[in-house]
Amino acid sequence: MANLNLTLKVWRQENAQAQGRIETYKATGIPEEASFLEMLDIVNEGLVHEGKEPIHFDHDCREGICGMCSLTINGVPHGGKHVTTCQLHMRQFKDGDTIWIEPFRAKAFPLLRDLMVDRSALDKIIAAGGFVDIRTGSAPNANNVPVRKKTADAAFDAAACIGCGACVASCKNSSAMLFTSAKAAHLNLLPQGQPEKNKRVLAMVRQMDAMGFGNCTNQYECEAACPKGITVDNIAKLNRDYMIACASEAVGVFS
Amino acid sequence: MNDIITTACKFVTSSIGRKIIVALTGSCLLLFLVGHLAGNMTIYGGCPAQGEPSWIDAYATGLHSMPVWLLMSIRLGLLLILLIHVCFTLVLKWENYHARTHYQKEGTMKATLSSRTMVLTGIMIFCFLCWHLWQLTFNGDPHDCYNHVIAAFRNGWCSLFYIVALCCLFMHVRHGVQSVFQTFGLNTRKVRPLYNIVAVLFGVVICGAFISIPVAVLTGILH
Repeated sequence: MANLNLTLKVWRQENAQAQGRIETYKATGIPEEASFLEMLDIVNEGLVHEGKEPIHFDHDCREGICGMCSLTINGVPHGGKHVTTCQLHMRQFKDGDTIWIEPFRAKAFPLLRDLMVDRSALDKIIAAGGFVDIRTGSAPNANNVPVRKKTADAAFDAAACIGCGACVASCKNSSAMLFTSAKAAHLNLLPQGQPEKNKRVLAMVRQMDAMGFGNCTNQYECEAACPKGITVDNIAKLNRDYMIACASEAVGVFS
Repeated sequence: MNDIITTACKFVTSSIGRKIIVALTGSCLLLFLVGHLAGNMTIYGGCPAQGEPSWIDAYATGLHSMPVWLLMSIRLGLLLILLIHVCFTLVLKWENYHARTHYQKEGTMKATLSSRTMVLTGIMIFCFLCWHLWQLTFNGDPHDCYNHVIAAFRNGWCSLFYIVALCCLFMHVRHGVQSVFQTFGLNTRKVRPLYNIVAVLFGVVICGAFISIPVAVLTGILH
């Protein structure tokens, strides 16, 4: 098993107000089987031994399911291999590579420190309507509420979104349409989500606009960057649902 | 009534609402392109050089013999649609620019060149449109349309400008057509490749047919 020697160009910034800059670090003797975050751990260990400030980055489960890790690697969120950064392994890189590591950038994601950004704007979109109001109780018996297989699959695919924000970070306009549409579609597709469908769509889209995200221009960078394979079909569905919801609101169907 | 006005106001200020308006006006302009092309193709009918009556002269005369109010309302309608399309896109673009913080190293995975240059190609088309209207719509006699077009395209620079502008139109339309389907919510994974083919075919047929006119004049097919 070969070890890699890499050059890292890392974004360093003490706090939101400070002037950020790219700093160069050598990462030597990185095992191929290490994950990207483990590689940063090794580099940080070296920095701590030298008495320097380690590189700050977000991480939690390191299993690819929590959506906490971020990092834009060589201009692509999560490195563009359809996995989260924690599941990206160093075997994807070659010895001698230069790797650019930057935070997930968007005005709606204010930078906290180095590679950490505040993604609570996404939580606010969920809080605006990404839920079902009624008490759902414990899990119902299977097939108690009939759901078509295709619909159940589509809802499940949309629900796979872990809310990491790679869609926003990869978008040329910093739009949160893929995230919002996945969260809305997940509930809008299912029978339990029907009663509040219009209310939910309007609330989530309006909250998304209020958070200062950009507007979708159908370039589908989000879909390519998504580690969970969320498709832009959800965005088409949100556009459709939004038109219906606006029409319903205008004529007072649910007021 | 109040509800309708409130919702309408929220619609035209929301991100999706404005995109739908851009898509709607864009589709109107695409339909106009089809009509305009159908009219232009009459240039290949009849040859005044051999004494045959030119179809395009008859077509141009026919257009101008419309009642003034009808002609002016069509023109103003088109202008209004164009202005809405341009103004809304520029506002959206402005917001998008300010929603973003730029990367030191930019990466692109899927976004097509045409989708990334929509504003540039749009501005180019707008400049071309101004020139085109001045040269061929507001100047020249509709009874002598054929000779006016031939004389204009005998100038190589003028033809080159038209061809470059129409290539920009192709790029604009190529992203625009498939984007319309997505914005109207008619897109699914199954039909997306089809929309891409439709977009490219539409662009090739429309722009190719428009480009054929200056090329035909330069190569002497039309004289």
